[in-house]
Amino acid sequence: MENLALSVKNLNKYFHEPQTFHVLKDISFDIKKGEFLALTGKSGSGKSTLLYILSTMDTTYEGSLTINGLTLTGKAQNELAAFRNEHIGFVFQFHYLLPEFSALDNVMLPALKLEKKSSEEIEESAMGNLKLLGLEDQALKPANKLSGGQQQRVAIARALINEPTIIMGDEPTGNLDSKNTQIVFDIFRELAKERGQTIIAVTHDDDFAANCDRTLELMDGKLIHQ
Amino acid sequence: MIVNKTNYKIANAHLTSRLKQTLVAILSVTFGISMYIFMNSFMTGVNDTQTGLAFSTLAHIRIYNDIPQDNTNLFADHIDENILVNIRNPKVIQYTEGIKNSEKILNLLDSVPEISGITPQLNINVFFRNGATKVNGMLSGIDVVNEDQLFGTAQYVVEGDWMDLNRRSDGILLGSGLAKKLSLHLNDNVVLTTEDGITKNYKVIGIVETTLASVDNSRAYIRIGFARQLISKNMGYVTDIQVNVKDYDRAVSIAQRIGKITPYKVEPWQEANGQLEAANKLRNIIAVAVSLTILIVAGFGIYNIMNMTVNEKIREIAILKAMGFDGKDIIQIFLTQSVIIGILGGVVGIILGYLVSVLVNHIPFKIASLETLPITYRTKDYIMAFVFGLITTFIAGYLPAKKASQVDPVEIIRG
Ligand SMILES: Nc1ncnc2c1ncn2[C@@H]1O[C@H](COP(=O)(O)OP(=O)(O)OP(=O)(O)O)[C@@H](O)[C@H]1O
Ligand SMILES: [Mg+2]
Repeated sequence: MENLALSVKNLNKYFHEPQTFHVLKDISFDIKKGEFLALTGKSGSGKSTLLYILSTMDTTYEGSLTINGLTLTGKAQNELAAFRNEHIGFVFQFHYLLPEFSALDNVMLPALKLEKKSSEEIEESAMGNLKLLGLEDQALKPANKLSGGQQQRVAIARALINEPTIIMGDEPTGNLDSKNTQIVFDIFRELAKERGQTIIAVTHDDDFAANCDRTLELMDGKLIHQ
Repeated sequence: MIVNKTNYKIANAHLTSRLKQTLVAILSVTFGISMYIFMNSFMTGVNDTQTGLAFSTLAHIRIYNDIPQDNTNLFADHIDENILVNIRNPKVIQYTEGIKNSEKILNLLDSVPEISGITPQLNINVFFRNGATKVNGMLSGIDVVNEDQLFGTAQYVVEGDWMDLNRRSDGILLGSGLAKKLSLHLNDNVVLTTEDGITKNYKVIGIVETTLASVDNSRAYIRIGFARQLISKNMGYVTDIQVNVKDYDRAVSIAQRIGKITPYKVEPWQEANGQLEAANKLRNIIAVAVSLTILIVAGFGIYNIMNMTVNEKIREIAILKAMGFDGKDIIQIFLTQSVIIGILGGVVGIILGYLVSVLVNHIPFKIASLETLPITYRTKDYIMAFVFGLITTFIAGYLPAKKASQVDPVEIIRG
């Protein structure tokens, strides 16, 4: 299984507050490298919950998670943090940027943390990413002075900066107009095809899902289509 | 702690984005550190003045013949304790008073490196008479040069000249209160009578005023040689040898060592004036207690502000963690902030502490020999204040930083 990007086996997740609730029910699936995948389902079906587990941020689950052939279940928090930094790019459902930094600084941060390139190189590729998303003129604005859609695009640019193996987005185009949605879609498509990066995007947009390589659908915590 | 450049950048952004809170935190450290410096400088100043005043008559170590000792059982150590002894009305028939051969001891003391000054004294209880007025007092036969070197007595001479004692064999210096009681002025005559009934006439060649009642109201000084003549004693006879050491806090241990090589009583000032040492120690305890309390309060201030910062930035902490910053990075980011606050507050606090000290040192306070409130400037206090300040900010900053590092990003991001 050389070219598997991600593999999940018998994943179960419970919430215990306010009462015990079985959110994810025995989910198993594999994703190949370079696949562009949509995750769909009704509101409350468990899409975000699943994505947090895939992103290694949530470690309270049963079952196993393997990314790039590395089993991540049971690893220490600090190890997972380093792994996330290098291999996973994440776009949140609500765009989260650091408000006291400029758009450019926000995009650069994960790369500065990774310390694989000089800050000049990082700045250059961050600028490139912003340009890709049509934000070159907003680069030096503080993040909290940007519109919602602009912030979401900065968050996408940030998710791409370390050229991660997997890019995960929780409704990454939720705040964007159809033109920008198309731009983001094209970027993802290109990354998957040209660089072999794997994309997992939660979406409510049927067109978006229809154009992906594959769709996973959740219903009440069960995987009903893959 | 080597701070990662990126973490430092984030810490710096946090500090500058809430300038007001940062400033308040810095000020609380500044206040704590400056108060620490001021309290300690002031208390040390008071202690130094107090001991300085006391040491204007009291030497660090006094050597004298401590007689008679317990002579109620003259057979002790001589007869087996199983033998019953009955002594009635014991009397000491003869004992040696004073120190006969002071030369030997003085030579011995000269070889002790910790000693900074030695002066022999011959103190005699006498009656001073002027006409019908008769006052009981103490005549000190002193070595003119060494006495002044130890006690700085010459600076307290308000009329006449201390050095004249060396020139006139019938010259006497009187305490100002004593002179007043006897209605005596410079160049008047005073009659002196010893316990053994010897009477001699002296000329008042100076008045001494130390502000210490025990000296001013009952002391008179003559040269030690003339005092020996008065009571017909040999060269080398003294009642006391007064010794000053370089570090008066070490008087006890030095006295112990000297005590082993002389047959006489060697008494450090702490033994003779327990209350003086107790007062010094108590003042030091107060200074340390008050200043540490202030520092701890400042620490609580920082703790509070850093806690607020962590709560305010909790979403950003979650984002940082989601991007792959680990617990150590988060601790670094927040600890860096408190350390910067600590260093800035410390530097300003040192300056402010010095300024407050200087200011207080200029407040008039004309009591006893004081002109202004006393302050002692010691580098040690400044270093200690800075170190304690840093330790406090470090601890106060560590707890919120630790809390920040334990934030669960999913819980925050999920909303
Ligand atoms: N912290 C929590 N404690 C208890 N229940 C939770 C918690 N977070 C989510 N849930 C529940 O788990 C279920 C799945 O939530 P999740 O956020 O994964 O849904 P979703 O599919 O992302 O929905 P949406 O499309 O609206 O974002 C929901 O029923 C939700 O109420
Ligand atoms: Mg969701």
